[in-house]
Amino acid sequence: MTDTIRTLMLSKNYRAADVVANVNMTVKRGEIYGFLGPNGAGKSTVMKMLLGLVRPTGGEIELFGEKLIPGSIDHLKRIGHLIETPAFYDKMTARENLELHAEYMGYHNKESIDDALRMVQLVGVDKKPVKQFSLGMKQRLAIARAISTRPELLLLDEPINGLDPEGIQLMRGLFRRLRDEWGTSILISSHLLSEIEQIADTIGVIDGGRLVREVALDEVRSSTTDYIEISTANAALAAYVLTEKLGIERFKQVGERTLRVYDSHVPQETLSKTLILNDVPIESINRRHHTLEEYFFDMVKGGDNHAASRQAGA
Amino acid sequence: MLHLVKLELKKVSLRGYVYGALIAYAAIAAFLLLLYFFEGSDSSAPAFTSQFEMLTVVNTMVCATFIVYSSALLSGLVIGEFKDKTMSLLFAYPVSRKQLIFAKLSVVFAWCFVNIVLGNLLIGTVMLTVNGYVGQVGGELAAVELLRHVGFILLQGVGAAGMSLLPLIVGLPRRSVPATIVSSIFIVSIVNSNNNGFSLSSIVAIPLILAAIGIFGAYLSFRNIDKADVA
Repeated sequence: MTDTIRTLMLSKNYRAADVVANVNMTVKRGEIYGFLGPNGAGKSTVMKMLLGLVRPTGGEIELFGEKLIPGSIDHLKRIGHLIETPAFYDKMTARENLELHAEYMGYHNKESIDDALRMVQLVGVDKKPVKQFSLGMKQRLAIARAISTRPELLLLDEPINGLDPEGIQLMRGLFRRLRDEWGTSILISSHLLSEIEQIADTIGVIDGGRLVREVALDEVRSSTTDYIEISTANAALAAYVLTEKLGIERFKQVGERTLRVYDSHVPQETLSKTLILNDVPIESINRRHHTLEEYFFDMVKGGDNHAASRQAGA
Repeated sequence: MLHLVKLELKKVSLRGYVYGALIAYAAIAAFLLLLYFFEGSDSSAPAFTSQFEMLTVVNTMVCATFIVYSSALLSGLVIGEFKDKTMSLLFAYPVSRKQLIFAKLSVVFAWCFVNIVLGNLLIGTVMLTVNGYVGQVGGELAAVELLRHVGFILLQGVGAAGMSLLPLIVGLPRRSVPATIVSSIFIVSIVNSNNNGFSLSSIVAIPLILAAIGIFGAYLSFRNIDKADVA
């Protein structure tokens, strides 16, 4: 099975500044790929390069198994997108905007417009001019436009922006449905993990223009580490007890009152008993999961080394 | 290609522009009729010394008006799309960018040309008819002279339509609607300014050369559009 998107050392620099540097990403067919990174990390630029709106200064792009050559436009028929702010012809109605889109895309199936409007729950307002729409409605309409031509690939840049909780829920369901029923590959960018962790199959972390890591989410979930978190008023004493009395070295102090013990060979009962016997004032002691958020945060922090070593190896 | 032009027309709400053009015709006619009646042949310096001159003045006014009017359309179709970010939408369609732009510019070109021809025809007819009844401007208008004038209008229509694209050079890099319209006024004031009955546009070659410059200028501003980054 061919991948929908593959990039090879994809780069873009404006003058001397690297906006995107040596990105190798792979979006498999029929998967939701969460593109995670802080603002200004280069997510939009990568998406624009996939659409041909921005020209790469280095590297290659392969879409639907074919290498993109400058000036090729046929593949654009198969892509739906929402990049940055949703732009419309404001004076035209919602429906007219979608019809115009279909004309330009060369997609002639009037029913699909109704379907798309229904999927984003914008039925009944389609005869209104878009300038009367709220931001959230425009966002929904933009998503409707993107899916109205039944694309094989959806590029969605921060699609959740401006949506209310109900809208967010709706879109999550919609994206899953598109993936499962139509086999659509979806690339969704976001700066918040919580927005995409529920739907993404794979997550690519980009920071400072570099793809720090690309991982299947299942893999991350199984590999996230457990630890025991101790809350205490006397962290110094607790640390002393841990090293001297229990022989634990793999722990770390987080903030003034919290210690995290990663060593799993000492049972929690022993740990609490020893601490109490040594007069360490304990407020709480809990077994915890390293959250996904922390996992990715660590990754971004350590990402520079990682990317550097990968480049050296390449 | 024709399909692309049709889609462009859908976007601009042509009806509004047509009404605008009709109002412009009426305003020009009203202005010239005022001149005709109040600065007629009785005064020491009459507004029109011959019927031919009358038609020339009609043509000058129509050209000036519609070069500027076309720049408004040009702003809406080209500059406006960049400003509203709908251009990046257009450029992500499976349609050649050059064809898209060509469709837009053809609309502007055709709009300018059609209006100049139509405006001359309508307002010229009104002026000649009124004079036929009032008879303030004397002399005959020879059929040959009239025919030559029609030819001149057609040529000048092409010239003005070409020139109407020239403001792009100024307006496009700045993504500015005002800059586009102001530069069109500037062009009109140079080309159509009247110096003792002589204006640049009265020499046939000049509007054609300017048309060539206008079209070439528009081409230059879009030459690299296939390679350009659309932010």
